[in-house]
Amino acid sequence: MTESRVFLRKSETNELVESSLLDEVTDHHLAMWNGSWRPAMEAYCAGRVLRDKPEDHHWDWKWKANEWRPLLGYHSFAIVCENDLQGLMVASDFKSARLQAQFGKPIVYVEFVATAPWNRPELQNPPRYRGVGTVMVAAAVELSWDLGYRGRIGLHSLPKAEPFYRESCGMTELGKDAAHQNLMYYEMTDNQAERFRQK
Amino acid sequence: MKNMKLDYPKKWYENRIALEGDAEIGAGTPPGIQAKTLAKSNVTRIDTRIAFGTFVALWRRNRGWDAAKLAETAELDTEEILEIERDPHCEPEPDAVYKLARVFGLSPKPLLELAGLIEPTTPRLREEAVRFAARSESVAALNDREREAFEAFVSAISEPA
Repeated sequence: MTESRVFLRKSETNELVESSLLDEVTDHHLAMWNGSWRPAMEAYCAGRVLRDKPEDHHWDWKWKANEWRPLLGYHSFAIVCENDLQGLMVASDFKSARLQAQFGKPIVYVEFVATAPWNRPELQNPPRYRGVGTVMVAAAVELSWDLGYRGRIGLHSLPKAEPFYRESCGMTELGKDAAHQNLMYYEMTDNQAERFRQK
Repeated sequence: MKNMKLDYPKKWYENRIALEGDAEIGAGTPPGIQAKTLAKSNVTRIDTRIAFGTFVALWRRNRGWDAAKLAETAELDTEEILEIERDPHCEPEPDAVYKLARVFGLSPKPLLELAGLIEPTTPRLREEAVRFAARSESVAALNDREREAFEAFVSAISEPA
């Protein structure tokens, strides 16, 4: 397991704080998910109707962990800051690009990514930390570079996250995917990845 | 894939996190649907063709055959074998799949499903295919893990011809 030094912005002090990006989700991370992330999500969802709950409120990261761990083509990531879990991601490396300019070329596909409940303005305002999405996209792009995929990545965005991938990350929107519950599909080309890394 | 390291300067985070702002960032399965069910529908024809190509390559390597030997036995062109193994965007001819199934000693139906030539009906076949492709790497000889994945997959697609 490799640990990278990354930064998140702490709302309380408005300063960048040093955090860790781990390229493997461990039992320890899942215990943190179960001990703090999950209860916080359940507390927020209690008594709310479905449309008012976060779009990923039902995600069971322990179940997801058991699904991906035995498989060679999957990569998992965790962000830890000040001894608490701040974000989780699972990506795979065996899917192909759909965008015409890079059709058929291998991409890193983000299967799932989420930030902890306390980092979401919808659940806690101001959020405890900002920047989890940025770090996770950077991790996916870097993994893509390491694999020789030149930074190409793809993902199906949850509806409320579409502006982040389209505008903040500069990814190309390819339309709603009927085969994927009508989620909007996005891809980052090698040129877009280069811009993302340099900005 | 391990040893991936992010090495961006602090200034990069400052600029990038400002762009992120308070945006939501979730990507993946939407709510209200069981993830296990979704995993099945996420598998595309390209994904199963990758598994089909991997299976063909591993089957002949398991026998110590090169592509020409398999082509000769199945009465196909070597180029066709290599195309099946390497290009998931290429749709194989049904006749080629039948010939390969005969050489492999398998029912053609699951192979036709994997090749995207008929609608999938075999339970969990597509999920098994993705797991199989993900566990198999293109190296010269089958390692223990590949052999285990290969044998498990043969078992999954085996049914009376």
